[in-house]
Amino acid sequence: MSAEKDKSKVHKLSLKGSSKLIAEFFEYSINTILFQRGVYPAEDFTAVKKYGLNMLVTSDDQVKAYIKKIMSQLNKWMTGGKISKLVVVITSKETGENVERWQFDVQLFNKLSKKSSKDTSKPSGKENAVPTEGSEPPPEKTEKEIQLEIQSIFRQITASVTFLPQLDAGNCTFNVLVYADADSEVPMEWGDSDAKEIENGEKVQLRSFSTSNHRVDTLVSYRLAD
Amino acid sequence: MATASVSTPLKNHHGIFSTRTAGGRMPLTPSPRTRTTSLATNTSNHSSPFTPPRQRIEDTRIVSQSAYGNVSSYFSRSVSRTLAHRDSPKSNIAKAKASPKHLDLGVSDWTLTGTGTAFGQTPSKSASRKKGPLRTKSGKTTIRLDAGDRFIPNRTASEGIAVAGSGKIDGENQRPKTSNGEGLTALANAVSAFDLGGHAAEDDATIALEGLNLDDDNDTTSYTKPPPDTLAYESSLATACGVSLNTRILAFKPAPPESSKPIDLRSQYNRPLKPANAASAQFRRRVLTAPERVLDAPGLVDDYYLNLLDWSSGNQVAIGLERSVYVWSAESGTVSCLLETAADTYVSSVKWSGDGAYVGVGLGSGEIQIWDVEDGTKLRSMHGHDTRVGVMGWNKHILSSGARSGLVYNHDVRVAQHKVAELVSHTSEVCGLEWRSDGAQLATGGNDNLVSIWDARSLGAPKFQKTNHKAAVKALSWCPWQPNLLATGGGSYDRHIHFWNTTTGARTNSIDTGSQVTSLRWSNHYREIVSSSGFPDNSLSIWSYPTLVRNVEIPAHETRVLHSCLSPDGQMLATAAADESLKFWKIFEKKPGSASAISREGGVTGNGGDMAKQITIR
Repeated sequence: MSAEKDKSKVHKLSLKGSSKLIAEFFEYSINTILFQRGVYPAEDFTAVKKYGLNMLVTSDDQVKAYIKKIMSQLNKWMTGGKISKLVVVITSKETGENVERWQFDVQLFNKLSKKSSKDTSKPSGKENAVPTEGSEPPPEKTEKEIQLEIQSIFRQITASVTFLPQLDAGNCTFNVLVYADADSEVPMEWGDSDAKEIENGEKVQLRSFSTSNHRVDTLVSYRLAD
Repeated sequence: MATASVSTPLKNHHGIFSTRTAGGRMPLTPSPRTRTTSLATNTSNHSSPFTPPRQRIEDTRIVSQSAYGNVSSYFSRSVSRTLAHRDSPKSNIAKAKASPKHLDLGVSDWTLTGTGTAFGQTPSKSASRKKGPLRTKSGKTTIRLDAGDRFIPNRTASEGIAVAGSGKIDGENQRPKTSNGEGLTALANAVSAFDLGGHAAEDDATIALEGLNLDDDNDTTSYTKPPPDTLAYESSLATACGVSLNTRILAFKPAPPESSKPIDLRSQYNRPLKPANAASAQFRRRVLTAPERVLDAPGLVDDYYLNLLDWSSGNQVAIGLERSVYVWSAESGTVSCLLETAADTYVSSVKWSGDGAYVGVGLGSGEIQIWDVEDGTKLRSMHGHDTRVGVMGWNKHILSSGARSGLVYNHDVRVAQHKVAELVSHTSEVCGLEWRSDGAQLATGGNDNLVSIWDARSLGAPKFQKTNHKAAVKALSWCPWQPNLLATGGGSYDRHIHFWNTTTGARTNSIDTGSQVTSLRWSNHYREIVSSSGFPDNSLSIWSYPTLVRNVEIPAHETRVLHSCLSPDGQMLATAAADESLKFWKIFEKKPGSASAISREGGVTGNGGDMAKQITIR
């Protein structure tokens, strides 16, 4: 039992680091999407070196503060393992229609192991504790490998502007959604929402990356041209 | 259902059961109602082994208030998502009281909307109302089926779809049936489908179930747990609609800040990593907008048709002021009066020869005088015109003169019979005349709104006659880097600058300047042209070529700018205006280190006064 505890401790620590990494990934993703999709003017962005790339990050104070507010809460949720999806929805200002939806699915490997351990702690539940293969964390990766995976996602996001329909530039706004556990603490700024799906949207699955604790899948859906 | 992309894996059900068993409650409690037992057997015919126990459990749990409150809160939540239009203010209150777990969920909104119609068939007592749905009276079962119907196609359609908008129903075979058995069949089918399906939604379901388990653990002490089967059912529903039961979609509510300015995506996609304004170094070059020097020019005749200012290659500026010609040395700053005409006439044009040694002076009487500036002596007078000579131009030893009559004469200043050609084209006063730097072409402009382009080898008729201008054409300038490019500017009614290909005669570009164009000068160093304006702007404008972007506009004078000329090094522009001032502008300041690519006609030697004389005058 104590050994198990130790294990979970180890898990916790690496989980924290992994959460941080993923929250950071989200932050850069939001910035990249805002830049690439022209939600804000290009002049408002400055390049910073990250993941071995020149990442464009907003330098507009208002947008910066807005993203920071989102990120501060996201960090908490991530560390608590409360988030299963992060979604950036680009909406037309005129029609209010959702025109593009960037979805990042987060899988937490630990959750499964936590659950199974709980199961085994209960009597006569063993039969039902089915091994959780398929969601087993992959072999440990070096940070370098993870960074390369992230890098290729950002390259893909950047490249995706070639096939995504041209947005009505300057006439779009964005929203951030999270799929959080129901028992998460929800601050005032966050409220329940629908999924803001694109109706009859085309979906393109982009690359994924994974850490020892998380796996992040990227999916963009967009409105098909009429 | 076979196409279900989302399904609950087997282990999830095991998880449910383990939870249940962990609580010490086995699903073997005898059912108080035979009906439900039969239902259980009914459902057991179907592929899911977990359905029957669920039924039994449900029945046994009827008395367990909190458990049902809990269940129904879950349930109502999921239902309310689909059936948001229903509302029941009554039942939710009871529920909220009954189920602390409900509060834990923090989804009171959902509960408020959901329960009423869903449990509409039940009596008014809250306890029995809670029982209602679980007792599978036909009405309630229908509702469940309804929910199931609504959910299942959604699952098929897409994982993670918004439940709110999911009105689509394709389980027709199940929907109309209202009997419990059918309902359970449907459920069983659903469950089995989940079992059979892949594990695409595995994690959602797992997380959901885990959450449920956790809740159970927390609640065990205070009240009985919800029946796991119900949970299984709900999780199935949740999985079916791609939404984990204990997952909320949260939106960051504050509106994102407005974009600070309009966005052009086209430029964005082609944007260099470096800040974009580095690209337009030419545009960004600082143009000095203050005059370098201001001189008085008293008595300057305010006449658009005259050309009274010229800057020599020897760096001397000649200006005609009424009856006198003054020469100002740019190097020393000294002024000397070169000549004064007879009282009955006035100076109508001045022009330096290419070498800067002689100045041609046109007079109102039609006489042309040639002066040696260094000696201050008149070399010769040339007669021929009987009207004023408003413009002149040198091509080596040839001096071309345009007169009010519209005639242009070429004078060979070396010979006694100086008039070597008569260029007949204009019908009104000639006010613009410019030789190309190589002497192969001559452009003239007149008050007849005509631009004539002459080939030096055949002066019998103009090569091209351009009638595009709608006013007198005084401003003419040959491009220093593209010999066949001519810029012409029209008067107040026209206000345009036209660019011509003088090989083909085609107009290549046009600018509407918005005011009278009084002179045009190409830069030697920049791909730019400067125009001076009369009414209403009285300004200098620098245009990029060929983009035709106005780089800068300098409010130069108080009244119209009449004449302009460039310094021999091409950096400085002198302008004379009707406000009787002569101003010097360093508008084409050379970039340090960049050699001037194009040297202007007569040679750009800066302040060198030792120009070899190109012509000799007898």
